[in-house]
Amino acid sequence: MKLISCAVTALLALAAPALAYDGTNCKAPGNCWEPKPGYPEKVEGSQYDPQHDPAELSKQGDALAAMDHRNAWRIWHMKTTGSFEYDVRKIEGYSETELPKVN
Amino acid sequence: MLMGAPLMAVPALANDKLVELAKDPANWVMTGRDYNAQNYSTMTEINKETVKRLRPAWSFSTGVLHGHEGTPLVVGDKMFIHSPFPNTTFALDLKDPGRIIWQNKPKQNPTARTVACCDVVNRGLAYWPGDDERGALVFRTQLDGHIVAMDAETGETVWMMENADIKVGATLTIAPYVIKDMVIVGSSGAELGVRGYVTAYNVKSGEQVWRSFATGPDEDILLADDFNAPNPHYGQKNLGIETWEGDAWKIGGGTNWGWYAYDPDIDLFYYGSGNPAPWNETMRPGDNKWTMAIWGREATSGKAKFAYQKTPHDEWDYAGVNVMMLSEQEDKEGKMRKLLTHPDRNGIVYTLDRTNGDLISADKMDDTVNWVKEVQLDTGLPVRDPEFGTRMDHKARDICPSAMGYHNQGHDSYDPDRKLFMMGINHICMDWEPFQLPYRAGQFFVGATLDMYPGPKGDRQNALGLGQIKAYNAITGEMAWEKMERFAVWGGTMATAGGLTFYGTLDGFIKARDSDTGDLLWKFKLPSGVIGHPMTYEHEGRQYVAIYYGVGGWPGVGLVFDLADPTAGLGSVGAFKRLKEFTQMGGGVMVFSIDGEGPYSDPNVGEYIPGSPT
Repeated sequence: MKLISCAVTALLALAAPALAYDGTNCKAPGNCWEPKPGYPEKVEGSQYDPQHDPAELSKQGDALAAMDHRNAWRIWHMKTTGSFEYDVRKIEGYSETELPKVN
Repeated sequence: MLMGAPLMAVPALANDKLVELAKDPANWVMTGRDYNAQNYSTMTEINKETVKRLRPAWSFSTGVLHGHEGTPLVVGDKMFIHSPFPNTTFALDLKDPGRIIWQNKPKQNPTARTVACCDVVNRGLAYWPGDDERGALVFRTQLDGHIVAMDAETGETVWMMENADIKVGATLTIAPYVIKDMVIVGSSGAELGVRGYVTAYNVKSGEQVWRSFATGPDEDILLADDFNAPNPHYGQKNLGIETWEGDAWKIGGGTNWGWYAYDPDIDLFYYGSGNPAPWNETMRPGDNKWTMAIWGREATSGKAKFAYQKTPHDEWDYAGVNVMMLSEQEDKEGKMRKLLTHPDRNGIVYTLDRTNGDLISADKMDDTVNWVKEVQLDTGLPVRDPEFGTRMDHKARDICPSAMGYHNQGHDSYDPDRKLFMMGINHICMDWEPFQLPYRAGQFFVGATLDMYPGPKGDRQNALGLGQIKAYNAITGEMAWEKMERFAVWGGTMATAGGLTFYGTLDGFIKARDSDTGDLLWKFKLPSGVIGHPMTYEHEGRQYVAIYYGVGGWPGVGLVFDLADPTAGLGSVGAFKRLKEFTQMGGGVMVFSIDGEGPYSDPNVGEYIPGSPT
């Protein structure tokens, strides 16, 4: 019986490093990630490097800025005329690069 | 009456006609009925004794197919109905519901449909009661990323702003939410690498009041100076960057497309951020904060007072956007607490002190949850079982819950008399194998292949037994009762003081169970499966129960898009392959009352009178 339990313990001990990341060893508060055994600490340069294209990564931020810009013109138009116009091309003085002048 | 005795002597800060309107059982003014998001009604006309006499009083077809999520709103004599894409809004006259008072049908770019991950659903409308300056407004989100304000009387569009750009894969399915004079709008698109954000707009002008992101620099996340001060071990500053490698946070997901709750006494609103992108965990080392977090944000400023990350470094798509239900209960030490209870995708029901984020309880909603051994209440950390994690070059098997979660988008209910949460639960597990893929804005960025099937208590051979409904006590952690369902209980629940718990099923029934025992007391076969939550209102002294029908959403994608590959539909096609034997697509509202009494009990109501415009 003792032999068997020793064998089991040994097996578990061997298996443990291969299955280590349990989420409770923290580098700092709120930062408890660890690489799994056999996987890199950093993926950059590894076989798992996602190689993200910075131009792709910036598209969302650009899209939000462009939408906020068009919304600013719509709000300005409604404030100055009292009527709502969605199509910014129909807003007099609309500029793709400049914000409406607020008096 | 629903709020109980206020714990704080501070007068309510909210403006808040909505709070007043919600006290009247004649109205259902927001998702979840009132700011506590309990889906609970004090009405008792329909009760354990009378429910067997519940019959349809009238119905309405929306004229579109696909998933009908959410629930209609009722304010005074009007019911406001929303539909999936193209997101037409209808106002019906409750005195004569055969008459459509107005409809507002937007023109949308059909391309929006191609970047919707999980059917072209929409979760509901919001209502702002108006002030001295301007009349009441109804708010709608559109799949193509717009937030629209409509005049509640005429349906005319008052303003329409761009919130999400479909060209980068960002869409909107969430219901807008009104707090004070702001309308809050979430985001969708983590399956396309969209970095999540929540935005507040001025109800009258559409001007942006604030916007906060789920990942990145602290100033983008909008942290209060004392963010997480009561629980520093949750993590505080700079983690939106430090828990990611390089710029991966820019496409890090964390969208919020679930539900909100709000406490006017402390001006905090609550919601959950979604999963990180991509699903391939190996491509994004780190805890990936602040995806998968429960947020307490100051409504006025948008600043986060606390956040608790439920699933650090997600490996299973346990998008943490689920319902937030507020209650006031005594904790185990007998201390009265203002609480927030949240059944998460990851199979844990979390209860936090909603004033400071303290973790009160974190219980498995079913004992078959295996990715986590337990959640340590002192550290807040989930103790992962490495056997059920996912990683590259490995196919993980028998992980429970699956990516669809043991709980998904359904808006549940809380019975304050019984102190029970009525939870619609999924019972689905999975095999999961990730793969490498590039990020291209506007294209899917998932990177995992899934097989899903019933959990251990279901029938894997026959692909049935995919759902459960349970009554849960958040303090004791005990289930008062639990029942199996053929399919996932996807749409949520509603509880009433009549001792009843109502919910719809994917196989096309509305059911009423005894809130004390879980016994099935009544059901009715609807035209199609249900993925929305029931609601109830009183009109001219009579209690009605209304529910959308129209199957769809993630469980319905196989049926809706006619898919056969079991791994298609992000793995849901296989799990729900039997669904088409029980239902087909539909779309509408069905309204019930005792004996089916209603506006047309007098058949002459609504008849044509020569010379009259109606």
